[in-house]
Amino acid sequence: MTKGLKKDPVDFIFGTLTAIASLSVVLLIGGIFLALVQESTPAIEKFGVWKFITTVDWDPVAEVFGALSTLFGTAVTTVLSLVFAVPIAIGIAIFITEIAPGFLKGPIGTAIELLAAIPSIIYGMWGLFTLAPIMEEYIEPFLQSTIGRLPLLSILFEGTPMGIDLLTASLILSIMIIPFTASIARDSFNLTPSIVKESAYAVGATRWEVVKDVVLPYSKLGVFGGVVLSLGRALGETMAVAFVLGNNHQITSSLFDAAATITVSLANEFTEADTDIYLSSLYYLALILFVMSFITLAVARFFLLRAERRYAR
Amino acid sequence: MNIERKRRITNLVALALSSLAAMVGLFWLVFILGDVIVHGIRGLNLSLFLEDPVPPGIEGGGLRNAFVGQVLITLAATLIGVPVGVLGGTFLAEYARGKKLSRVISILSDIMVSVPSIVVGTFVYAIMVKPLGHFNGWAGAVALAIIMIPVVLRTTEDMLTMVPWTLREAAFALGAPYYKVIIQVVYRGAATGILTGVLLSIARVAGETAPLLFTSFNNSFFSWDMSEPVASLTVTIFQYAMGPYESWHLQAWAASLVITLFILLITLAGRFILKWRFGR
Repeated sequence: MTKGLKKDPVDFIFGTLTAIASLSVVLLIGGIFLALVQESTPAIEKFGVWKFITTVDWDPVAEVFGALSTLFGTAVTTVLSLVFAVPIAIGIAIFITEIAPGFLKGPIGTAIELLAAIPSIIYGMWGLFTLAPIMEEYIEPFLQSTIGRLPLLSILFEGTPMGIDLLTASLILSIMIIPFTASIARDSFNLTPSIVKESAYAVGATRWEVVKDVVLPYSKLGVFGGVVLSLGRALGETMAVAFVLGNNHQITSSLFDAAATITVSLANEFTEADTDIYLSSLYYLALILFVMSFITLAVARFFLLRAERRYAR
Repeated sequence: MNIERKRRITNLVALALSSLAAMVGLFWLVFILGDVIVHGIRGLNLSLFLEDPVPPGIEGGGLRNAFVGQVLITLAATLIGVPVGVLGGTFLAEYARGKKLSRVISILSDIMVSVPSIVVGTFVYAIMVKPLGHFNGWAGAVALAIIMIPVVLRTTEDMLTMVPWTLREAAFALGAPYYKVIIQVVYRGAATGILTGVLLSIARVAGETAPLLFTSFNNSFFSWDMSEPVASLTVTIFQYAMGPYESWHLQAWAASLVITLFILLITLAGRFILKWRFGR
């Protein structure tokens, strides 16, 4: 603050300590990046960048490693889980902000946020022992005998339903990200000035029209930021999918097939990697995941900050 | 007339769908929690807490080693992560208040909060496990601390910012140096908030599995030694659930019940404190 205060040596020491502590975040991000680059250097040198991400093979015995199959699994589960989760999450946010009576708003909001507090390993175990058998016996055969009959969609539902597959993993992932999207969407909805909403009601708009034409346009930046944030979360989620994806490095058109994501491969193979190039390739995957999620999360922050700034006016 | 009716019906349908979405969300919560409770209670008994695991395939035994290990790792992580987080948050809210650096670190922390925890695990493996040549409990604690730091840092920053600036000015006017103002005035004003933040961050890391897989690993024996592999509840749940034995599955469910209840209770308590203290 003023010069007089800075002369106090204890204050200088305390201030420096706090500065170092806060810089630790920057150092950690930099350190993670550098350590991952360093550990994956052998794999980067051997397989290159473009070749690594376009190679499907993942063969520890022949020591040929490529990321395409895990990137495929990561992309499919992430996109599918967003498709399942976003409509539900936005519906929940609409329910909490516009429909629920006052005394229900708090409890339902808390309940949805509790969903986010459940550890991901619990989701994984529940998925393996409870959801997967249900998917195998009821839902997947049902899908196969209905939508699976349609000419173009049938390739999505081929094979014997086992429950341990892309569809089950995506469903679990979607349950996990619903609360993130919902709470950010709710916060964004709440930022809509009530005067604007009230004037819409005053000219005779229905509740849905107020949501669709006033609240949603007003909060779309925030909602979009929330969706991207959930995307970042889904990319890096490990334990919830590790149980039910099967860790099978393949590219498949059927949602009823086992697959692998970056996180699942890391969880299953990291401690078993017996050669240096194998471990290095796994680090390469971790590096790709880190960069992807960092960029995604940064984009999400950018939108959320812009949304915040716009409402602050 | 016709248009009005159409609007009314669209409205009803849309509102019904939103309500349905809320029901779907609640349904999953009840389904998962109910399932954990129903399965977990059957495996819950005293020997789960008081006995160590028996060799695979044999009935009986408990998870005493994992409970103790989990507490050790989480405690060590808290001791490392909380001071760093609180001090870092202090810098952002006090010494660097309003500066660009503060903004940047704040945003980076927000990103860091959501960085995949398994990546943190691989990072700690590279710096603490590979050089030592074996898995160890400290590495697990550091991995959890790394996840904790940005969470604590951001809540501390928010809580300190909420303390009115005039309070600091009153203390400045008495001639107090800034560090005394922070420790004796600002920290006191924000104590409840910071402690709640710490509580929530403990809940956050207590259920983490991925960062422990390659750091503290697992240990089927009881051990206080943090320089050796240390068992944790979450990694044990992973191992037991993936294993072939029915008795393992039952213990994994029981452990899941304990850890889920612990985390949900802390989370609820934290939320109520925040609501009671700050009305949000």
